[in-house]
Amino acid sequence: MKTIHKILIKGATLIAVVAIVVSCSSTKDTYVNATDVEEFKMEKSGAQMWGEACNRCHLAPSPADYNDTDWETIGLHMRIRANLTEKEITKIEAFLKSAN
Amino acid sequence: MKKLIILILIIGFGHTIYGQNYNDFDTDSTKTEAFKPSKSQFMIRGYGHTGLNSVTSDGETESSYVGSAFAPIFLFKHSDRLLFEAELEFVLEGNELEVGLEYANVMYVLNKNMTVRAGKFLLPFGTFMERLHPAWINRLPTKPLGFGHDGIAPSSGIGVELRGAFDLGGPKLNYSVYSTNGPRIKDGSVEPEEAGMLQFQNYEDNNNSKAFGGRIGLLPFADSSTEIGFSTYSTNKVGATDSQYENVGAFLYAFDFAFVKQFSGFGVIDIKGQYNNSKVDDATYTELDEFGNPEEYTFNNESNSFYTQLSYRPTTSESDFMKKLEFVGRYSNYNAPADAEWSGESEQYAFGLNYWLTWRSVIKVAYQTTDSVGGHDGGGTANGFFVHWAIGF
Repeated sequence: MKTIHKILIKGATLIAVVAIVVSCSSTKDTYVNATDVEEFKMEKSGAQMWGEACNRCHLAPSPADYNDTDWETIGLHMRIRANLTEKEITKIEAFLKSAN
Repeated sequence: MKKLIILILIIGFGHTIYGQNYNDFDTDSTKTEAFKPSKSQFMIRGYGHTGLNSVTSDGETESSYVGSAFAPIFLFKHSDRLLFEAELEFVLEGNELEVGLEYANVMYVLNKNMTVRAGKFLLPFGTFMERLHPAWINRLPTKPLGFGHDGIAPSSGIGVELRGAFDLGGPKLNYSVYSTNGPRIKDGSVEPEEAGMLQFQNYEDNNNSKAFGGRIGLLPFADSSTEIGFSTYSTNKVGATDSQYENVGAFLYAFDFAFVKQFSGFGVIDIKGQYNNSKVDDATYTELDEFGNPEEYTFNNESNSFYTQLSYRPTTSESDFMKKLEFVGRYSNYNAPADAEWSGESEQYAFGLNYWLTWRSVIKVAYQTTDSVGGHDGGGTANGFFVHWAIGF
């Protein structure tokens, strides 16, 4: 069991280090012209993400049930609890605010 | 007298010239500037449920209104990055009110891919306890075997965690790594029939070895319909310092699976599943033989449990009533160590029919049958009928 424990600690440390390096790495100096790429992307709408992400655990909430300020707090809470990406929660929150 | 009246009139009307004008509507900020909420916000959310349970076991039926539970969740958003969350649980147990702290932690968003949180938090060991156990989310009135009291899956811990998610341009990856106080082993001195069980609810550690764990989840498809996850939880020591169980370690792992998708012209299919495995190092325990003499024994302390659940909502039906219905079926099993005092095998089938009043309020009607061999109550068959109402707020 001690060997497994050591492997697990090293694995967890490795995941944490990789996550820190990747998440902290800057993309400001990229040579890709982002606006050119965006033209060809099929971006999902916030409404579509709301339907997909929320329904993974519970029924998708009605936008009218909370005001904009409430949705910001709930959005931050759900981003962390459900491990949503920044893009997902930003778009979902924008949709909920626009539709309430 | 005239002079006095003139003086009073001068003071009475003249003081307004020098008076402050707090209520001057010309300078009312709401007229010149739109209302702006502060970044700090305090909010109470949560859930509650109540219902009727009727369980028949060994030919005896027990029926009672139960589950009067109220679980408020306190959220304090200090800023766009800093959040405090806490959940209390008020439950009636045997005519007495029990108050529990489900979790209480502070979280800070370090960057778009990483959040740190510290305190007591729900452990991402699989997905059931962290995401699916609240009554208004759980599609059935009961938890699957292997979770809850005497379950093998840890539900919460006190420690620190890093978590986050990455967008891989369609697929998504989420992760969590954490360290907590870790479990304690029951040595049988208090409850001999539970010797070798792990106890996860610990506010203070009984040794200096911490537990480490984590989960990786992958959503391979762009529509986020499918998620597969792998979790581990390990500790070098589960016994108290200087006790004979000090160097007993434990290793747990879990696989989880989820598939949720709306099919046009059919409805929503929701499939969930999780397999848990727990292995504790071999140790020597003491029991009393038939003459009351102490007798040492050991056993292979490995347990596992599994559940899978399928639910269907006919959301595309033309009938408003049908749209709000949900059909649920769940299978779960639990296998305790064969030679332990608490050895046993259980198998459970549960079927339910839900009616969604709103997206967060549901009436659940369910039938459940559990077959057990061994275990605390000696085994047998227990059939249950449940009617519950759960609401999230």
